Amino acid sequence: MRTKLLALAVVGGLALAACGNGTTGTPTGGSKQGDTLRIAIGVDPDTMDPMRQTTTTIQNIVQMVVETMVKIDTSGKVQPALATAWQTSSDGLTWTFTLRSGVKFSDGQPFNAAAVKANFDRVLDPASTCPLCGPMRGVKSVDVVDDTHVKLNLAKPIAPMLGLLTEVTFGIVAPASIQKGGSTYSDQEKPIGTGPYTLAERVKGDHVTLQRHDGYWGTKPNYKSQKFLIVPEAASREALVRAGQADVILLPPVSDLPALQRDSTVKVLLAPGDRTIFMAFNTQDSQQTLLQKPEVRQALNYAINKDQIIKSVLFGAASPMDAPMASTLFGYCKVGSYPYDVSKAKSMLQAAGASNLTINLVSPQGRYIQDFQAAQVIANDLTAVGVKVNGPRTMDWPSYLGTINVAPAKASVDMHLLGWAPGYLDASQAMVQFQSTQWPPAGLATSYYQNPEVDQLLAKANSESDQSQRATDYCTASKQIWKDAPWLFLWVQRFPIVYSSKVTGVQSIPNESFYTMYASPA
Amino acid sequence: MLTYVLRRFLVAIPTLWGVATVVFIMARLLPGDPARVIAGVLATQGDVDRIRRQMGLDQPLPVQYLDFLGSLLRLDLGRSAHTNAPVLEEIGSRLPYTIELAFVALVVAVVIGILAGVTAAVRRNSKTDLIISSLSVFGISMPVYWLGLMLIIVFAVGLHALPAAGADQPTSIVLPALTLALFSVGLIARMTRSSMLEVLGQDYIRTARAMGLGSGSVIFRHALRNALLPIITVIGLQVGSLLGGAVLTETIFAWPGVGRLLIDSIFFRDYPVVQGLVLMFGATFILVNLLVDLLYAYVDPRIRYS
Repeated sequence: MRTKLLALAVVGGLALAACGNGTTGTPTGGSKQGDTLRIAIGVDPDTMDPMRQTTTTIQNIVQMVVETMVKIDTSGKVQPALATAWQTSSDGLTWTFTLRSGVKFSDGQPFNAAAVKANFDRVLDPASTCPLCGPMRGVKSVDVVDDTHVKLNLAKPIAPMLGLLTEVTFGIVAPASIQKGGSTYSDQEKPIGTGPYTLAERVKGDHVTLQRHDGYWGTKPNYKSQKFLIVPEAASREALVRAGQADVILLPPVSDLPALQRDSTVKVLLAPGDRTIFMAFNTQDSQQTLLQKPEVRQALNYAINKDQIIKSVLFGAASPMDAPMASTLFGYCKVGSYPYDVSKAKSMLQAAGASNLTINLVSPQGRYIQDFQAAQVIANDLTAVGVKVNGPRTMDWPSYLGTINVAPAKASVDMHLLGWAPGYLDASQAMVQFQSTQWPPAGLATSYYQNPEVDQLLAKANSESDQSQRATDYCTASKQIWKDAPWLFLWVQRFPIVYSSKVTGVQSIPNESFYTMYASPA
Repeated sequence: MLTYVLRRFLVAIPTLWGVATVVFIMARLLPGDPARVIAGVLATQGDVDRIRRQMGLDQPLPVQYLDFLGSLLRLDLGRSAHTNAPVLEEIGSRLPYTIELAFVALVVAVVIGILAGVTAAVRRNSKTDLIISSLSVFGISMPVYWLGLMLIIVFAVGLHALPAAGADQPTSIVLPALTLALFSVGLIARMTRSSMLEVLGQDYIRTARAMGLGSGSVIFRHALRNALLPIITVIGLQVGSLLGGAVLTETIFAWPGVGRLLIDSIFFRDYPVVQGLVLMFGATFILVNLLVDLLYAYVDPRIRYS
């Protein structure tokens, strides 16, 4: 078997920065030391177990404690972390990782190949609850080669392996704490990792406190501790940062963004994200068969004044989509736009025999930035080109999922607003929305889009080990999808972070993550 | 008396059983698949099915119901589907916060409400009465979330005097307790005023005054004591509404009590926690009603239970 060396190398066309000194944590703030950085977040952690956690913001916190084999940097590129190099066999069925040496868990145990194996064995144990493990289940077994080398044996190639390994789901916790049969095997409420912080205290519903891990192998953070305040109400979070009672807050009320931007005591970071917001058409619609025609769906795409909505409804917290995925993903290429053009939309609808189109439309409320408000304007724009719109109707999130996540025969709405953030920054994670194998209930491809050519391209790209060929395939598929318009392509949501001007070095990672690891007092 | 209390406890059992049944059915009537909500949108169907099995939701409804009642009899409320911790532990870690908040709010409401009501009644139709009555209406009609945010803006953002949110400082409770109390203050003040006015017009008050008793003694020993019955009823009802109002107040002020736990659990379709909390609220109502009834007998010696 010929083995292709990929060490510290190209991850699908994204060249990695040379990284010889062994340190990859990039200090981004100043060098002033601080006591406690207080960060107000909206969600209460359900679990701190990296394996069981599915919420980005909480994963974000866990990631400061539990490190992964590779990680995403602030520009979205994959970087070495606990693994310093990796090789994959030419058939893509084995991956060998070289591990960083001299790393210790915060309880003093050494990090080594046995630790990696113990963690993989745990998450891939069919008895374990690991909601995000699906794509990793192709791993058959894990072998310890020697202390600093570990080999993953796959049943079938997993092309986006590195992207997958950036998820904290596959983070490495101290092996002694996950011994099989022990109570913490199935549920880790105080995970012990190798990261720059340790989990010091958690009061449910109130706060989580991290303490600096002084034996950390990489660059040590400036703040002795980081305290996450759990504040569900956006307006209360805003009050906290304005009152100086929090240093950083996530997701202020967007309607206050202009005022916050004018306020000199705080700074606003509209971080680039990976979440695409769209209106999915029911492309198999049996009640409104006109929606089965791509020309009709294209026409409706021209009917929406996206720029205006972003400016006046989302207060700038988004950028228009120019491909069926966010530009921060591997495999993205810019494919086009549907510029706002009422007369073009009207004439296209007429040509397609759809001048008397009636559509019912639903939107969640409070799930995405200004979702329902945007849906109202969209309904208005659709009415302006002669479509009769029933809606937008809204409902709470579980009911909403229950309405749209159904087999095509049970579909009851013609269009629904949805946001899709890939699990990790790889096109494969965005493109599940356009694979006919992912129609509900198997997946969440709720537009029921089907194009055999796209299906074939995506299946090929998902297991292709030549990364530049993968990128080309995703690009070709993107172009076709854009033309077929199974969505009303809207925008890529930004991730607003507000922080006190007394703090510097607050950054973000383009998967709706904050990066305060190396923040410092200004 | 003791038999009466015992009988009331026995009657509470079928009531709680009814509450348990209703909440069991209501939770399952809500649309949306709890297993999918818990697994997250990115989970595969296999993982969703696994979670459904773990939660016992693949069983037919009657089986789930019997399981639920069976564990209830063993005082086992199950485990949270969302956090995997025992429901009793989840509620137990949050309940002290809500009790603290509701208790402080209740004390504030009772003290201010009764004092304001008495003052308004004694100075009937004066400017003071007008101000108190207007403020009472204000308190009753202000939406909790608006009032809470206004207090935050004034006292935390503007004056930097009090914490805006959280529960980890001694002064943290001030704003949420005030917000929560204001509605009850208004209600208690209005009830006290009207009840007092009725009593103050009675002959024995005139007699007491004619006997030369000081006005403080007349108002508090003779008038207020006799005006208390309807006020106690209102206060009893307020305990319930304070727990209910805590849901909003706890959200605005990031107070880690059971109100927020309830909201989160409903959104996550976390059946075991929702069931446990509603049962707990039900039991609290029953208990408070019983206490109010017993208080009647204490306040009005003519009332005797047997």
